[in-house]
Amino acid sequence: MPSVNVVNGKQIVVENLGPVERTIRFICRPFAQMWHHRDLIQAILRREVAERFKGSIAGWVWAIVAPLLAIAVYTIAFSGRLDLPPQYIVTGNQNLSYALFILSGIVVFNFWSEMAFRAPMLLHEYVHFIKQTIFPSDMLAVISTLRATLYTVISLGVLIVFQLITTGGLPWTMLLLPLIMIPFIAFLVGMSWFLCAIGAFTRDAGYLMINIVPLFMFATPVFYHQSIFGSPGDILIYINALTGYVDVMRDIMLVGKLPNWQVYAWTLFTSVFTFYFGYWFFDRYRNVIVDVL
Amino acid sequence: MSSSTSSDLVVEAKHLGKAYQLYARRNDWLKQVAFGWATSKPFSKPFPVLRDINLAIQRGESIGFLGRNGCGKSTLLQVICGMTLPSHGELRVTGRIAPVLALGSTFDLELSGRENVMIGGAVLGLKRGEVQRKFSSIAEFAGIGDYMDQPVKHYSMGMRTRLAFSICAHVEAEILVVDEALAVGDAAFQRKCMDWIEGFREHGTLLFVSHAKADVMRLCRRAIWIDDGRIREDGKPVEVVRSYARAMETEPDDMKRFTAV
Repeated sequence: MPSVNVVNGKQIVVENLGPVERTIRFICRPFAQMWHHRDLIQAILRREVAERFKGSIAGWVWAIVAPLLAIAVYTIAFSGRLDLPPQYIVTGNQNLSYALFILSGIVVFNFWSEMAFRAPMLLHEYVHFIKQTIFPSDMLAVISTLRATLYTVISLGVLIVFQLITTGGLPWTMLLLPLIMIPFIAFLVGMSWFLCAIGAFTRDAGYLMINIVPLFMFATPVFYHQSIFGSPGDILIYINALTGYVDVMRDIMLVGKLPNWQVYAWTLFTSVFTFYFGYWFFDRYRNVIVDVL
Repeated sequence: MSSSTSSDLVVEAKHLGKAYQLYARRNDWLKQVAFGWATSKPFSKPFPVLRDINLAIQRGESIGFLGRNGCGKSTLLQVICGMTLPSHGELRVTGRIAPVLALGSTFDLELSGRENVMIGGAVLGLKRGEVQRKFSSIAEFAGIGDYMDQPVKHYSMGMRTRLAFSICAHVEAEILVVDEALAVGDAAFQRKCMDWIEGFREHGTLLFVSHAKADVMRLCRRAIWIDDGRIREDGKPVEVVRSYARAMETEPDDMKRFTAV
């Protein structure tokens, strides 16, 4: 079985598969690749995590200080200035409820914005690996998302402790967090595949993201609840896929109820669609990318 | 497809060619993507780097590649390694291939040698446990002592090459591609690498690029001279090296060869 088999610029894979089998193969392939390259993912993830706090003395303390600072700032800045539906007033103190409301949205938004900022430059960061060695460049999106996941989990941990202290308990629905985090991670990996492929061709993708990420902070219900728009704005805002994730997150973290099944179905759809569209797009252009980087 | 003679072929290339698209202005590729379908005149000029390469390499051969700068040697090896796709022709490669092309350039300067060994080994396809098991052997071969735990930014070029070659020597590849990587090592280390390569030839296939004609004659049983993207001569190292050396003296350094047609 040849390891390289190319005819007229096309990779030849000798297989006789029907459309159903080909689809199943395509659906399994990203996961098979991740499993196959698990040791490489681990090695590079270690380097990435070490890099984040390179040369700092406090190191991991910063990962905890950042969300604590955010709690302080949002509690003070938004005290009495938000109009929330009553179910989000989860503590006796309104100001703390606002802080919890905003933070649960911001955790989701920060996770997304870190990936949106970084993904267009991702392949440029690893250009030596891609051009000089035989390197599975599709794993870079997975690795960088895993790194961001780590910091998000730390922020979530701080937030949960804060909530436990201020409200004196946690809703049982918090156990469902993985059911929203895993689709969200898949959504971000897919988005990173798409953005890093575009970013390889033109640096404009990076500049574009720097400009539109701050706009999304206001196009996503982070600092407000979508109900302020009234009909039909409160439905239309779900076109921004992040809205669904923020909404489900708040339902299970703060309110303690199961999310609206339509909203959850929508997040699952955006997740699966983005994941496979991103992978398809990256896979289609991966051989061109090597030559244009 | 698998007749008895072709089963020992590790690399088989037929009419292999590669052309890069050169754009006059930086953003012309965007015009090509947007309007290329509508116009018959492309916005780019093809720049052929490899043309009509026919090559058959048997298991256990050791081949030296000669040629001027920019003649296409490195591109040919990159194509064989599968890093970049050829634009036409056929290519079949069988076996685990390890490029010692420029592993040193992938080192993270802030990380220690030890951490870079873990990453480099993983990039070349070793499992984490395997790298850990072989680590002392890698460190011994590189021979850089306590520098192993220092950041790579404090290394000299020679030390980086030592570490990079040492990692590649431990991946148990079936096809080894060495691309001018050893030039910066000192004589003693070069000798160690040459000895190792000689041992490797007993069970593996070696593709070797060097401007040191003596090394090519010593290590290789076959030499291929690539000129302007074509195979100009393919045969015994002594003869190919001789005609290559003669051509270097008589043919002037023609800078027009970097111009797109």
